[in-house]
Amino acid sequence: METLGIFSDVESAARAVECLVRAGFAEAQITSLTSVPYPDGVLVKTGRRSWFRWLTLAGGIAGAGAGFLLAAGTAWLYPVQTGDKPIIAYFPAGIVTYELTMLFAIVSTVAGMFLEMRLPPWGKRPYDPAVAEGCIGISVSIHAGGETVTCGRDMQPDECIGGIASLPVEGQKSRAEEIMREAGALRVIAEGQS
Amino acid sequence: MFPLLRYEGGRGSYDIRTQFIGKIMEKQTSPYKWGMVIDLDRCTGCGACVVACQAENNVGICDKKEISEGRNMHWLRIERFWVGEYPDVRVRFLPVLCQHCHDAPCEPVCPVYASYHNPDGLNGQVYNRCIGTRYCGNNCPYAVRVFNFYNHEWPKPLDNQLSPDLTVRSRGVMEKCTFCVQRIRRAKEDAKGEGRLVRDGEVQPACAQTCPAEALVFGNLADPHSRVARLSRSPRRFRLLEHLGTHPSVYYLKGGGREHV
Amino acid sequence: MSEHPGSSAKSALQLNDELLSSLRPPSLRWYGLAFFLGAVVAWGLYAFTYMVTTDMSCTGLDRPVMWGIYIVNFVFWVGLSHSGTMVSSILRLSQANWRRPILRAAEAMTVFTITVAGLFPLIHLGRNWVFFYLIPYPNQRGLWPNFRSPLLWDATAITTYIIGSSLFLYLGMLPDLAVARDRSRGWRRKLYTILAMGWRGTAREWVIYHKASTLMAALIIPVAVSVHSIVAWDFAVTVVPGWHSTIFPPYFVIGAIHSGVAAVITLMIIIRRAFHLEEYLTPLHFDNMGKLLLVIALLWSYAYFVEVQTTWYAHEPIEWEVFSFMAGNYTPALLLMLFGNSVLPITALCFKRLRRSIGAMLVISLLVNVGMFIERFLIIVPSLSHKNMPFVWGTYRPTWVELSVTAGAFAGFALLYTLFAKCFPIVAVTDVRELDVREASVPFGRTKVPSVVGKE
Repeated sequence: METLGIFSDVESAARAVECLVRAGFAEAQITSLTSVPYPDGVLVKTGRRSWFRWLTLAGGIAGAGAGFLLAAGTAWLYPVQTGDKPIIAYFPAGIVTYELTMLFAIVSTVAGMFLEMRLPPWGKRPYDPAVAEGCIGISVSIHAGGETVTCGRDMQPDECIGGIASLPVEGQKSRAEEIMREAGALRVIAEGQS
Repeated sequence: MFPLLRYEGGRGSYDIRTQFIGKIMEKQTSPYKWGMVIDLDRCTGCGACVVACQAENNVGICDKKEISEGRNMHWLRIERFWVGEYPDVRVRFLPVLCQHCHDAPCEPVCPVYASYHNPDGLNGQVYNRCIGTRYCGNNCPYAVRVFNFYNHEWPKPLDNQLSPDLTVRSRGVMEKCTFCVQRIRRAKEDAKGEGRLVRDGEVQPACAQTCPAEALVFGNLADPHSRVARLSRSPRRFRLLEHLGTHPSVYYLKGGGREHV
Repeated sequence: MSEHPGSSAKSALQLNDELLSSLRPPSLRWYGLAFFLGAVVAWGLYAFTYMVTTDMSCTGLDRPVMWGIYIVNFVFWVGLSHSGTMVSSILRLSQANWRRPILRAAEAMTVFTITVAGLFPLIHLGRNWVFFYLIPYPNQRGLWPNFRSPLLWDATAITTYIIGSSLFLYLGMLPDLAVARDRSRGWRRKLYTILAMGWRGTAREWVIYHKASTLMAALIIPVAVSVHSIVAWDFAVTVVPGWHSTIFPPYFVIGAIHSGVAAVITLMIIIRRAFHLEEYLTPLHFDNMGKLLLVIALLWSYAYFVEVQTTWYAHEPIEWEVFSFMAGNYTPALLLMLFGNSVLPITALCFKRLRRSIGAMLVISLLVNVGMFIERFLIIVPSLSHKNMPFVWGTYRPTWVELSVTAGAFAGFALLYTLFAKCFPIVAVTDVRELDVREASVPFGRTKVPSVVGKE
């Protein structure tokens, strides 16, 4: 579940994040919702690597194969003599292979990007249209902890939890809300599954 | 009976190899390699061949308007060049038809395989496959390909003259001289029925059949004893636009004691 | 660090309002424009239908000039489509800050010009109704299209480029669609919601998005270069004198960037006026685009000079005949082309005052594109007119059918663009606001200097 606080400017949002971290929430549990990207660390730290570019590479290789089969493979299956050109000609096969490589790579980039972002989302996620008008949202993912799980490098927000784990879910939620209001949130929305 | 010859022309051959796998997939050989010899010292420029071609091949009839627009449908044209100054003017005739190049530039550029090379050495044109991109017409250096810009019609009773052996082309389709492939096919079928190969002189395209000066000779260049093969070895021979490397099947002869023309 | 709201700097709300002003419900003037463009498109469609239902004799084509205005259009529109890719990708990758207001317009232009370009291979067919013979699908004829033909490379490349540039445009628009979604109601809200794919702007989304858009920019540039090289090979791989030249692919790519950059400048001027974006598309942007255009004009002039010089020096009879026929028969067009493509841009764009003057830039950019259209014509038609066999030399003059279809194509592009600008953000809102958020005047020494925080 996510708790979302809306702030009118960067300073109060940053204050809120500081307080949340000091209260025991893990960095990876906190994320910012902004309509423009802020440099890394201004609000939250996002040192994650991304894996969707491997999909681009895979797509490119698949495209190369597809292109070669399309130009050379079909020519081999249905040979017709034209001029002095061999049935499987280097340059035409090369050109078509290259084009399909790029096509598949481009499509895989977009598909991989959406996959890694996990968009479109399955469940409802908290959001406020004020974000589009320049407000900053700070979202805390809350889940039942019991024990602190240290955040690894590439962990999802719902996998690790900080020292706040000692509190029950409701307690965590109210603690987060309290901190955010203290820091100057315009409003706090709590809904959705993380 | 002459031996089966595998034709290897220019950079290409009829061996359809898969260069990738390296084994010979299919070898298309043929005992025929149709060609033509045109003796320019005999040609009088009468134009009977043009008329015969039009009659034999259902070529569209063009009026003055079409021809003045540059859209004539002649599969075979007699090029006429004036040489010299008055009163010493002379004229030269050059019948130009599809050269059936062995390395035809018109074939690889067709996106739908409407123009292709058949094992007999003919450049084939498949009318019902043609979608009319006209790339082949642009790439033919001899400009022998004609395009059906107009929807030609044969109002009754002119349609009685149409030959049933070949189609009447619709608009939007390229066409060109086929060496009267319908006659070649008929002769090959007859010969096959009798268990032999086509004899020299048995098949004549309409132009060669009609020429009163016997300037056009057609036959099997692969048979070294045929008339056309012997003439194609003449010292008077030349081919059009040889510097382009198209290796045409049409040889021209010129210079046998009539250099003043 | 942004200035506090309420100070002289604009708030995000104000910026949104101004930059997204084009999304307001259309005015009467907009309807008038759309109707006029629609009428021209309808006229072009009528001319095309007339040609398809009668025969191709209504065009100016003949033997030997079997390719005319339709193919000139095809090459011209493919050239224009290099606008967005080159401008947008190169500026993104070089992280130039002045790119921000220009990106969307350029990327949208790419998509619509390549769409229009892709129609022309279908328009110029003699038997358009069997165009599907070109598509490689399993059939009972036992035939596939011929991939050795440059026209099939065209088909592959243009398909790749249409899909690639559409995805590039969509990717660039994603955060802006979210902003538009949050500000709209009704059917628009539904449309933007679907397109925005649930984008919320979390930090993780932004990091991945940034990596993806950089990668896309890097991927789309080789595609753009290959597309126009392949179109150039339609001509360069033939045996037609004057076409068979190895300089064609780079020459066409340079020409495409030339006409594309000029077209982006024209479009920027139009958008600036139409949507009151005077504060965002400033003389600085035109200054920089003018410098870019100057560089490309120099490159184009060099390429053309090389082409003519090698033909002239070798004086190979057939090629020289083609060139001198072109220069002799089409002299006014040739001179206009040289003026519009070379002389005017190179001389005028050296001056900062002219680069910053909107009127001068409009004239220069329009003349560049007029020159480029003439250049395509002068490449295609004279070479075909005087091929190898002098007995069949011919001429070509476009007819009303071909000119109507050309006009319909221009109007179609303008209509698509107008519709796009009404429905989607024409300026990259989040991009512009990103700079605004990170910019500040910092006291440094005796004065305050503008500075930008962050790596970019």
